[in-house]
Amino acid sequence: MSATNRYVYGVIGGGTIEFETDAVGGADRVYTVSHRRLGAVVSDIDTTDPEETDEDAQRHDDVLREVMDREEGEAVVPMQFGMAFESDRTLKNVLRGARPAFRRAMNDVEGRIELGVKAVRDEDDRVDRDAVEADAEEILEPVAEQSVPNDLFSDRLVLNRSYLVERDEREAFDDAVARLEDERDDLTIRYTGPFAPYSFVDVKIGAQ
Amino acid sequence: MFVLDDLLFRPFVGIVDALHTIALDELYDVDALEDELKENQLLYEIGDRSEEEYRERKAELEEKLDVAREVHERLASGRVEVKR
Repeated sequence: MSATNRYVYGVIGGGTIEFETDAVGGADRVYTVSHRRLGAVVSDIDTTDPEETDEDAQRHDDVLREVMDREEGEAVVPMQFGMAFESDRTLKNVLRGARPAFRRAMNDVEGRIELGVKAVRDEDDRVDRDAVEADAEEILEPVAEQSVPNDLFSDRLVLNRSYLVERDEREAFDDAVARLEDERDDLTIRYTGPFAPYSFVDVKIGAQ
Repeated sequence: MFVLDDLLFRPFVGIVDALHTIALDELYDVDALEDELKENQLLYEIGDRSEEEYRERKAELEEKLDVAREVHERLASGRVEVKR
């Protein structure tokens, strides 16, 4: 297999990173391709149009999580699944072209993490979604920097939001989620993360 | 009469095609199947569905989703003729 293309997980500010892990498309090493203090976190791949399997989507998330852990508070701008580039050269061109956008996104997410809160109603219950939203707003919003609503993909799902939280406020947010759980003991709360802040960066780059 | 007038201006085949497309869209609704996959995952995560139920449902939905995507791809490519 000749894996000469580069699959991109996200972009970090300055520095380099390298570690061995199960990466997307069967690769086993993650490293950085840098251009002027912007480092694209990549692994080698043999296509510029990777198929999104469950396993590879999970690996994409796992790699980003490991990068976040290793970078300890350094900004990581995550990419959505599926960004792959022909060569180092095309990738560096993108880093050059989108540099201001990456810098802005980095400022937005520096020192912050994304956490997810879902609330699920019991099968036979009727629940007022607006009331649940109001409770979440009152209890969770004060501890978060920002939040965005996500798709309510099931009629049993009565709340689905992502929160951008300061790393230092993580415990306070945990407590707030516990308070929401107490307040709404008719619901099952699913609390997930931390994730790279996908929902709060909007850097779109043309692939290939 | 409005309906009749309206129909007279359209070729009959066009209406049948439109109805057929609606039926196909409902039968092979990719978005709805994707939502069901996410719901299945969520209900498993909160312990509302056993691992066995979860796996069975997941396999079933993934199969349906493959078929639905294939149907849409073929329809879009115009390689499929709708038989009446």
